[in-house]
Amino acid sequence: MEEQRSSTVVADTPAGRRVGWEPYALGVAGWLVPGLGHLLQRKLDRAVVFFVSILALAGLGLAMGGRLFSWEPGNIFHLLGFLGNLGAGLVFFGAKLAGLGTGDLSRALGDYGTTFFLTAGLLNVLTALDAYDIAVGKKG
Amino acid sequence: MLAGLADALVLTHFQALCVFAFFVSLVFAFLTKQRLGERARYFLWSFLAFLLVGLALGWLMYPFPR
Repeated sequence: MEEQRSSTVVADTPAGRRVGWEPYALGVAGWLVPGLGHLLQRKLDRAVVFFVSILALAGLGLAMGGRLFSWEPGNIFHLLGFLGNLGAGLVFFGAKLAGLGTGDLSRALGDYGTTFFLTAGLLNVLTALDAYDIAVGKKG
Repeated sequence: MLAGLADALVLTHFQALCVFAFFVSLVFAFLTKQRLGERARYFLWSFLAFLLVGLALGWLMYPFPR
């Protein structure tokens, strides 16, 4: 009986607390580096898939000549694009620092590249929220 | 390295759609499903839905001028 009770407590304990991380810290880690929030909770399969997929989408987007948006409060489309790009975390900051994502209008793929990077950012936000949900015990 | 890749990277519209659908479907499957079989089925369903909807929208927009 005592043994059964203790195993129930372990099963109900959110993964984030079990590994000693605060849920919000896992969410932020997942935002900064795709998949890191899951890796810290030992969800290796999800961590690898998210890292590879999001980096592939972002890298292909930049390679296609996609454009990274800048902070322009007066232009709602640029502002939304910037927020979407920002979702990619360190990938976005790294690309900006490296001078990538200036946009190549000479290639038709440039528009697709912009969409690829934007999608990578939005997917990364979803994965970071997923890491948070796992940490607080809302998901398995 | 990325600049070299950019020069070599020439994708058709359909290839770009396939690559996009592949990665997005993969992430969706791992976000929403827990078991391997469920993930595989959801991935296939989502991937094919991306392709079908993309092709259907392409056909619908065909008569309209640029």
